[in-house]
Amino acid sequence: MNNSVRFRFVIRATLILLAFVISESTAHAVPAFARKYQTSCQTCHIVFPKLNAFGEAFRLRGYRMPGETEEMVKQPPVSLGAPAYKKLWPQAVWPGEISSAVPLAVNVKMAAVNTSSVNDDGSVSRVRNDLQLPQEVNIFGAGTLGEHVSYFSEVTFGENADGSVAVELEHARIQFDSPFGPEDLFHFRVGKFAPNLVDGFQEMWIATNAGIDSLFDFNPIGVHGGTGLGADALSPNAIALPARIRGIEGYGIINHRAMWVAGLANGVTAPPGDTTGRFDGNNAKDVYARFDYKIGGMGLDGDTGGQPIPDKNWRDNSLRVGAFAYRGDASGIPFALETADGAQVIEDSHFMRTGFYASVFYQDLNVFGVYLRGTDALNTTDAATGALLHAIEPDYHAWFTQADYMIYPWLQASGRYETVTPADQAVQSIRIGTLNLSALVRANVKAMVEYQRDLRQGDNHSLNVLLRFAF
Amino acid sequence: MAIALFATRLLAGDGGPAGTITGRVRWAGSAADLSSFVIWVDDIEGRFVAPRQPAAMNQKGLRFVPHVLAIQVGTTVVFPNADPVWHNVFSISEAKRFNLGMFGRGTIRQMTFDKPGVVELLCNVHLEMDAYIVVVKNPYFAQTNSNGTYQIAGVPAGRHRLRCWHERLTFQEQDVDVPENGSVTVDFVAPK
Amino acid sequence: MMNRYSMVLTPGLILTAVLTLSSGRVSGAAASIAGTVKATGLASNADAVVYIQQAPGAFKPPAKPVMMDQGKMRFTPHVLPIVSGATISFLNSEPILHNVFSPDNEKYNLGTWPQGQTKDYAFTKCTKFPCVYTQLCRIHPEMEAFIVVLQNPFFAVSDKDGHYEVDDIPPGQYTVGVWHPKLKAAAKPVTIAAGKPVTLDFTLTR
Repeated sequence: MNNSVRFRFVIRATLILLAFVISESTAHAVPAFARKYQTSCQTCHIVFPKLNAFGEAFRLRGYRMPGETEEMVKQPPVSLGAPAYKKLWPQAVWPGEISSAVPLAVNVKMAAVNTSSVNDDGSVSRVRNDLQLPQEVNIFGAGTLGEHVSYFSEVTFGENADGSVAVELEHARIQFDSPFGPEDLFHFRVGKFAPNLVDGFQEMWIATNAGIDSLFDFNPIGVHGGTGLGADALSPNAIALPARIRGIEGYGIINHRAMWVAGLANGVTAPPGDTTGRFDGNNAKDVYARFDYKIGGMGLDGDTGGQPIPDKNWRDNSLRVGAFAYRGDASGIPFALETADGAQVIEDSHFMRTGFYASVFYQDLNVFGVYLRGTDALNTTDAATGALLHAIEPDYHAWFTQADYMIYPWLQASGRYETVTPADQAVQSIRIGTLNLSALVRANVKAMVEYQRDLRQGDNHSLNVLLRFAF
Repeated sequence: MAIALFATRLLAGDGGPAGTITGRVRWAGSAADLSSFVIWVDDIEGRFVAPRQPAAMNQKGLRFVPHVLAIQVGTTVVFPNADPVWHNVFSISEAKRFNLGMFGRGTIRQMTFDKPGVVELLCNVHLEMDAYIVVVKNPYFAQTNSNGTYQIAGVPAGRHRLRCWHERLTFQEQDVDVPENGSVTVDFVAPK
Repeated sequence: MMNRYSMVLTPGLILTAVLTLSSGRVSGAAASIAGTVKATGLASNADAVVYIQQAPGAFKPPAKPVMMDQGKMRFTPHVLPIVSGATISFLNSEPILHNVFSPDNEKYNLGTWPQGQTKDYAFTKCTKFPCVYTQLCRIHPEMEAFIVVLQNPFFAVSDKDGHYEVDDIPPGQYTVGVWHPKLKAAAKPVTIAAGKPVTLDFTLTR
């Protein structure tokens, strides 16, 4: 193997390993809530972190159970002011409360990794039983601060193959719940968080270990509009659909069944080498919106009126459909490109992601999917002269469908098919298949076997055995 | 004093002489909760009229309340759901296998316990919930209060075998001579 | 606990009379109301004040003031019912400065005072009963207590299990009300007859 090939192999292997280590993987199983209510994980989760209908209502209500009473909370809060102080405002601070127990929880992810990947020169590299023990540790802090405020934070520690540690603040947000109006009609969140855009399909909620790359990792930046998945030297930030944003979002539940979302985000970050210290790569903000409707099953706020009670608490025969749109503005943010014609710069002056999704629950089976269409306005200029070389508006589309089947309450099988069709006609559609079997050894300890395969190129596949536990 | 003794005699079952068994239960070397022991006279068989008033096992604050409920065989127990969430009550104990299904706030379901034994209750929505119904074959039983004391009145005079139950113990037994009137004290020490 | 009775009428009646006379407890004129209060949705059934809304006559407040302490960063007791006109003596039993004020009714602020000292306040201004005064501390906003000023001394506060007992009530027809810091229940009529205790339960809701 000559040096340049070896070098590219190292880069590719590192990228694959990095993808496992610092993929935007989180596990939203929050044992702090188990402690607060002294209740089992299964009250809110099917196979953690996947939520059941009750858990989804708990999450949307700002981590409060539907109709929650004081006696359900086993950790009495610490008062920051007697309620009678409301009468004294503005002569006194408005009263509030915090939890008496420190609201922290830990999640640990370990894996034995087996991968096979095809290099540029056609040779195949294999990694056998790499014991990534652990891959990452997440620390969560989450809970409520009185009746109208809640918060969620997460810090992730990942150890890289070279021993260096990557720390990422994955979530840090505060949320104001029903500050006015009917209950659950208005919630506002501020901070860094996963937007309620295609929630449930980011890795934090789904039953598989691998994320849905077709939605979140497609890279549309390219001379002809994007060729593949993942960040690379050309575009350090994949700007498909953000799994995490820094922004402000409002959302709410209308009449138990409908949900609205509207949000504002910083958008694409500044390119590497930017020394201004700014989080937003430009002064323009991204905006997004979504609307959902759920037919059957438990209401989105936990309402159970008018519905037959299922015989098992995870069953929630229902159909949920939604439509969303995300408009991004990355104008002025340069992506550097080396070509045979010299150095060039690509700018994604504005982009639009629209899509719809559906999720059907029937007895022990959940089938769901998302269809996404993306349009980018890409301007390529000469790096030296700044002359506009070409402007294109390529479209790409992506969709996935997944089925989760509960064999026993502790054993779930999942299968997913996802595909991305890039705008660049010369590039084959990306097609990935994933199979997963998850077993709960305990309510808070999960073992998984997962197989993922690139359906274009069979020699790109991985088989991992994973262990996740939370406490 | 004589009047009191006369009164006790009149209040006996079957008109025959009967006494009271009282006592105290404690843990050896521990100050753990004392209120979940059930003590009963194990060797008195017979057909006894079950109480008409049902006993209650509530689902409140994501808990079964009380944690231990002692009843006479043939008693009906009602299971009201006082929480704003769905609950379920089921048991796979030999003394009564049943499943009341899931039900919501305000619904009251019930079950009659027609076999003596210990029934462990579970909830399949909240896996951490559990409780015990101790079904006793006769009316001569008592549950300890928070001090660990108990009292069983109206026990027919004579030699009997007392049994003490707790969810973490196998049965403890002691023999007792119940006097024709008055009371006898039997204490139990539960090993930790 | 189960008892089985075989009722024997005549000796039984004699017995009841004998036992009643020998118990010495019944004074002959007054009786009591006792019962259980259920605070729906709360962890504890304590702090409900069960009281007779209106009793005939004028009731003098007790000669000695009633105590409320600010010790261990709390007001004790949490709920204190008193007869109108009574004086409460607020003690600071710890080495931390406390303050007592109320934003309710005529409002008052007794200032701040150190350990070992007391300050008194007489609750004479209530005309429409009950008057509830929230006690707050300006220095420690989480501290809270309630003083409930009533027309007569026939009141009791429920314990953790919800049990209460109001004693020595003269015979008559009354309305019994209940007050709680967070919940409420409708008042109930009751007839007190000499020597006959009454059981009265309340279910409090939001």
